[in-house]
Amino acid sequence: MTGTVGGIMSKLGQVVEAIEKYNKFVLDQVKRARSDEQFGRELLGRWNDTKAKIPITRTPTGVPLPRLALPEIDEPGEIARYLFGEGLPGEFPFLNGAYREMYLEPIREVESFEKNGETVAARMAPVKSSNARPPLPQAEEPTRLFSGLMLAEDTNERFHYLTQHQRTHRLSTAFDGPTLYGIDSDADGVFGKIGEGGVAIDTVEDMMRLYDGFDLGSPNFSASMTISGPAPIIMAMYIAAAKRRFGPKVVPKLRGTVQADIFKEVQAQNETIFPIEASLRFLTDMVEFTTREMRRWYPISISGYHIGEAGSTPVQQAAYTLSNGFAYAEMFAARGIPVDQFGPRLSFFLDCGLDAEYIALARVSRRIWAIGMRDVFGAGPRAQLFKLHTQTSGRSLIAAEFKNNLTRTAAELVLAYMNATNSCHSNSADEPFTTPSEEWIRLAAHGQAILLEESGIFKHTMNMLSGSPGMKAVERAVEAAILDEFREIARLGGVLAAVEDRYQRSQIQSAAHRYEQQIYNGTRPIIGLNRYRDDEDDAPEVKLVRTPRQKQQLQVDRLAKFKKKNAEKAKRALDRLADVVERGANCFTVLLEAAEVCSLGQITGRLQEVVGRFRPMV
Amino acid sequence: MPSPIRILTAVPICDGHDSAINTINLEFIRHGIEVVYLGYHRSVTDIVRAAIQEDVRAVGISSYNGGHIEFFSEVTGLLQKRGASDIKVFGGGGGTITQQDAAAMKRKGVDNIFFAGTSLAEMTDYVRTQYGKPRNKRPRPRSPEQELAHKLSEIEDAYASVSRKRPTASAQRSRSNKTVRHSSVAIRHSSRAERARVMGFTGPGGAGKTTLIDELVLRFLNQNSRGRIAILSHDPSVVGEGALLGDRATMINSQNDRVFMRSMATRGQAGGLSPATQDCLALLARSGFDYVIIETVGTGQEAMPFQKNGVVDQTVLVMNPDYGSRLQLQKIVMLDLADIVVVNKSDLQRARTAHTEIEQRLEQNGRDQRLIDTVAKRHRDAGVDQLFKLISTGR
Ligand code: B12
Repeated sequence: MTGTVGGIMSKLGQVVEAIEKYNKFVLDQVKRARSDEQFGRELLGRWNDTKAKIPITRTPTGVPLPRLALPEIDEPGEIARYLFGEGLPGEFPFLNGAYREMYLEPIREVESFEKNGETVAARMAPVKSSNARPPLPQAEEPTRLFSGLMLAEDTNERFHYLTQHQRTHRLSTAFDGPTLYGIDSDADGVFGKIGEGGVAIDTVEDMMRLYDGFDLGSPNFSASMTISGPAPIIMAMYIAAAKRRFGPKVVPKLRGTVQADIFKEVQAQNETIFPIEASLRFLTDMVEFTTREMRRWYPISISGYHIGEAGSTPVQQAAYTLSNGFAYAEMFAARGIPVDQFGPRLSFFLDCGLDAEYIALARVSRRIWAIGMRDVFGAGPRAQLFKLHTQTSGRSLIAAEFKNNLTRTAAELVLAYMNATNSCHSNSADEPFTTPSEEWIRLAAHGQAILLEESGIFKHTMNMLSGSPGMKAVERAVEAAILDEFREIARLGGVLAAVEDRYQRSQIQSAAHRYEQQIYNGTRPIIGLNRYRDDEDDAPEVKLVRTPRQKQQLQVDRLAKFKKKNAEKAKRALDRLADVVERGANCFTVLLEAAEVCSLGQITGRLQEVVGRFRPMV
Repeated sequence: MPSPIRILTAVPICDGHDSAINTINLEFIRHGIEVVYLGYHRSVTDIVRAAIQEDVRAVGISSYNGGHIEFFSEVTGLLQKRGASDIKVFGGGGGTITQQDAAAMKRKGVDNIFFAGTSLAEMTDYVRTQYGKPRNKRPRPRSPEQELAHKLSEIEDAYASVSRKRPTASAQRSRSNKTVRHSSVAIRHSSRAERARVMGFTGPGGAGKTTLIDELVLRFLNQNSRGRIAILSHDPSVVGEGALLGDRATMINSQNDRVFMRSMATRGQAGGLSPATQDCLALLARSGFDYVIIETVGTGQEAMPFQKNGVVDQTVLVMNPDYGSRLQLQKIVMLDLADIVVVNKSDLQRARTAHTEIEQRLEQNGRDQRLIDTVAKRHRDAGVDQLFKLISTGR
């Protein structure tokens, strides 16, 4: 195992070459379209054909709009540049979107198709619209709000509150500190942290309470669990809880994702609990299991959010996230999992702040990922997709005159959807102070609804805001800068070597330092803080969400009971687990057994005895 | 002129929000402050133990994941209990710490809380004015450990004042010749204690010295249930500037009551050690430890940090297999002087070649030098076991 991990993760150089080669290919196509008449005619034909098939719908005010906007070009070279360089939404290299229609509202009445400039009668049967309820933009709402507080039952209540008006239940779970570090609520010195900033989960019983009342096997349900260090253990608990509630047949039906991104933990979020290589091994064990047994599960969410929030530049964020992604791909392939099996089960998570790069950061990332996966890893179409969850930047939200945070988040949401994110979390305005309270979380959720459902910005036309000259300029600059970062990481021996060298960490730290310096020397305007500051604004009145001591004590008591009840079985399960880990075999199935009778901390502790603890980096 | 201000910074247990403290550390250092950084996810006990051993002026805590009132109060409470209430506590946590919380924390003995939106300059100014004055009379040490920590500070302070008054070549010489006077360093239990075995670790930056030492400490603690060990670790700094003393943050096994660790900045001295090192080492060697480990900063090829016939009993050179060509190897002076040479990261591709080249080089020396390959980052590494055995049994 050690051998495979240590020896790989150096394909980044090949990715750089593949992108360069692809860019050259695009230029060649442009030239050819101009010199080779037949090719030029072919392209023009395809272009006109595509345009002819675009349905036209009317806005509520009666303006006809195409469901896909394309640039006004009729010269074969430019058409080639667009089709090969960007691709239509849903087409390689996916610059404009992973899917064809994204947030468009379902077609009610198709006005007409545009054909060679003239309008012909609609061929599509109108979809019946019901008067009872206004149509929703798409089958699944992209809104997905991250939440977790106090004990499992409290978070459960919040989940029900958040999903009460949604047809699809997509829950996103935040865990508390002890859980994130794989330790139990009864561990030394953690009492005050129980249920703070997320939900406290120690055992499979907590896990059952957490999603109580939701139908875990339903196609309309998915659970996202934001945890990485102990991800395989928490995943095992989730499966165990699902089995207890719905029987073993539920397992292949489970949908959702667990973050499980170890590289970004070491680079930015600081929740690694086992040595890096052991962590990667446990991850791969889990991925091997889920790609085989749980075809609908996303076993890893490759995350730049934490890198961005730790203070990186947007380019660093995208570059490290993508290179981490390629390193995982290399690792899973080395384990013998076919790329077309794990590829479609990878998803990404990016931050979206207010810097100019965010105008196109996710677009460029999607393109780089597709080309790298296709040309370096031989991935088929489904494994080329960069499926993206975005969160607006928490760090851009500040305490001073905090109601301005609503505007910041709104602007970031526009950017996120301009980048065709597949789902999105919008932060609450009280983000700097506390786990969001219901008042502000409601506004945050409604911000998305206003943008997607109320406003006409995203629901009528794909590419509504894509392709401006400014956006193209950002794309070029960002892509070049990301490739430079790739080259540097490749020079250091690949992702793992660079991580062990602290390369990404130190880059992020200097960027963060620069960012704070810019705020306090005034070169980075922050309204209400270093500009237009209202000195009247003292302590804002926000409702703090804090876990009462009795609840914390309740969690400790529950855990004690669980441990007592399962003492014998836990011992045997842990011995079996240790044995399999020691032998180097895939340990996920024994982990599943252990999760039935052991607490999170018991499992972590035993695994650490075998593989050691993570050695933090400065 | 007094020594630079020394403070300790950390992030509480179950909290990995280190972005703020990293920035603040960098800012402090730029302003001449020496920062012993303990890292994130740190318990109250670890923080208080480190603060006392390092004898810092104050502890800065950056807390985001809640429970801060409890956490800060436990730190001030434990410091007081250990007789170290002259070590002050301050901190911040952006918007998560409210004015009300801060008031409650101050009642529990916290000096100051910096709210969201405080400028970096305000924080450094605060530290320099509040913690920059020389300490008046110190309270009587409550434990031998605390007494030792105080004495080490006296030694460092004495050297600091000399170096400022006479920053000349003769001062350099006089420093290395140990002519600086500071109060008697004999400490109570030194008479009954045997002299510790002193091990010197040196080598280029990035070779993994700190990790290797921490792994040896683990083995020592496991083998000797009552044994005690001291570590004197060094990080580079320029005269008049601060330093980031970050080794503690990465040493997971050395956060233990049987380990006394002290971090020192070189304060402008070349060669990998600080002007005060020799005296501090001499004191530590007589303070009842079984072993004293001294770790130099990452050194260059010509470095020979340990004096001949000095306090160091045995020297270990830790090498990285990626040292470059065979020619580079010829230039490394410590290869002639070290008793043990370790090729760490021997899982790297170049390790075999490195081993052979170094072996040949050592053979030329014709001394009984030992060569060991390790992968210190690996849990229970056999090479580290072998090194530990060699150090502890001589075989
Ligand atoms: C950045 C960030 C992250 C990053 C952290 C990256 C890193 N390596 O640091 C990421 C994305 C990884 C992250 C993760 C989480 N986070 Co977070 N995060 C933040 C965020 C957005 C900013 C904090 C920050 O660093 N600000 C920049 C600093 C420089 O400025 P400042 O905070 O205003 O601090 C000033 C002063 O207070 C002072 N100061 C601060 N510390 C100190 C110390 C000393 C000694 C001194 C002198 C001064 C000082 O200096 C600053 C300059 O004036 C805050 C929300 C917010 N907008 O504030 C949430 C926030 C702190 N996070 C929160 C939570 C819950 C989490 C998670 C637990 C979520 C989860 N369940 O998974 C995880 C846990 C991570 C972990 N390992 O512990 C909550 C805490 C809620 C609570 N306590 O009630 C917050 C408030 C967000 C929220 N509303 O939910 N987070």
